Amino acid sequence: MSNSLSEDRYPYIKVKLSVNGRDYEVSVRPYERLIDVLRYKLGLTSVKEGCGRGECGACVVIMDGKLVPSCLVLAVRANNKKILTLEGLAPEGKLHAIQKAFLDVMSVQCGYCLPGVILATKWLLDKNPSPTDQEIKEVLGGQLCRCGSYLRFVKAVKLAVKYLKEGKVYFDIQELMSPP
Amino acid sequence: MVLIRDDVVRPKAVLDLWPLRKELAFIKREGGWVKIGALATIEEICSSFLVRDCRYAGFSDMCSHFATPYIRSLATIGGNIGAAHPLSDATILLLTLDSEVKLVSIRGERWVKLDKLFLGERKLAKDSSELIAEVRFKEVPENSSTALLKFDRRWGHSMGYVVVAVYAQIKDNVVREVRIAFDSIGRPFPERAKKTEKFLRGRGLSEDVIEWACTEVLPKEMKRISDYRASAEYRLELSKVLLRRALLRIKSRIRGG
Ligand SMILES: Cc1cc2nc3c(=O)[nH]c(=O)nc-3n(C[C@H](O)[C@H](O)[C@H](O)COP(=O)(O)OP(=O)(O)OC[C@H]3O[C@@H](n4cnc5c(N)ncnc54)[C@H](O)[C@@H]3O)c2cc1C
Ligand code: FES
Ligand code: FES
Repeated sequence: MSNSLSEDRYPYIKVKLSVNGRDYEVSVRPYERLIDVLRYKLGLTSVKEGCGRGECGACVVIMDGKLVPSCLVLAVRANNKKILTLEGLAPEGKLHAIQKAFLDVMSVQCGYCLPGVILATKWLLDKNPSPTDQEIKEVLGGQLCRCGSYLRFVKAVKLAVKYLKEGKVYFDIQELMSPP
Repeated sequence: MVLIRDDVVRPKAVLDLWPLRKELAFIKREGGWVKIGALATIEEICSSFLVRDCRYAGFSDMCSHFATPYIRSLATIGGNIGAAHPLSDATILLLTLDSEVKLVSIRGERWVKLDKLFLGERKLAKDSSELIAEVRFKEVPENSSTALLKFDRRWGHSMGYVVVAVYAQIKDNVVREVRIAFDSIGRPFPERAKKTEKFLRGRGLSEDVIEWACTEVLPKEMKRISDYRASAEYRLELSKVLLRRALLRIKSRIRGG
């Protein structure tokens, strides 16, 4: 943020975060945003900054079960909260059903919006495992995709619903990569 | 946060009110009042009893037009009022319910009518040490309902070109009480269209009366601005159309019960 702030006047504050199941304690300035802590202190670069003002959805994370734009949350507000970013969606070596579905319908163009879109989908399906097209569109309406993959996103969400209903939550990346 | 990031404001200190949610996130009915704590989020309002009560259907209208899920989970009702912005949807609706706001500071507390709170763009009739703690309104009688209409080019986006909210009590097709609020009547904050209200009060809500209210009465008290988003003429035209639709919507809501 603004360089003109005199750094020393703003002492560091200790903040405890549980991110993707791991506990962290970080020192943050009072004005630091959650997005900066996730990206630059914890190295979780799936969290993208698009607009930095709550309009594009690229930076959303799931915090204590709520979908929030990490660009509008001060890091201190995340103290003692549980946070999920895309990195924590599936165990090492696996893809989550939602990720698999987005790949299957070839919805990824540049991919910049995808972490946000996938987390918004995860949030939606956690509270509503069988959304209607309208409900999908209402939630993904907040996720800007510069490449315009919107129609495929709706397809992907429906495919993810199918996988999850069949009990297929994780897919092995090795198996997906090797030819049938 | 957006204003700080854009360097529009540079506060010496920022106070995070979120921890006050323990006490100030309620949405409840009590002693003939509906009371909403300042730290209640729009998301919480959208899953409260308010959106299921036909008399408060305006909240359900508001929810289907209010930003995106991830903004609704952070946006508080106190912030919506505190922003003193023409496009604060919840505030516009609360104006039609004749709401009052509880201001608290170390000197004590006081209640202020919501329509006396705004002075100018981002300017409130309160001291900076006063915290908005609660907003409340009296439960409305039978045969009444609310509606909110917002015109925007796309969903899930912040700023409507025009927002109108209406509360009305209609009995035997006669308007017993009506309150109308717009994002702006002339000054840069939400306000009530009191002349149009006065015209409608006591009249039968016929096509002709609605037409006259929208095309003859409203334009006399409304002054719209032109900016890069829309011209004044367009905003005025939208205001007339949306007011007509809002009145018709309320009429059918009251008939439908
Ligand atoms: C992308 C985007 C879309 C949006 N879409 C909409 C929309 O569709 N409709 C709409 O109405 N608004 C919209 N907004 C505006 C905003 O989200 C809402 O007005 C929201 O209710 C503000 O609440 P907040 O808690 O975030 O307040 P803040 O932004 O934190 O605060 C706003 C102002 O109020 C003051 N304030 C906050 N709480 C209090 C309190 N308890 N006591 C005294 N002062 C207080 C703050 O100091 C600040 O000056 C949008 C914003 C964004 C970024
Ligand atoms: S970067 Fe946070 S919403 Fe765009
Ligand atoms: S795939 Fe490029 S922004 Fe969505």
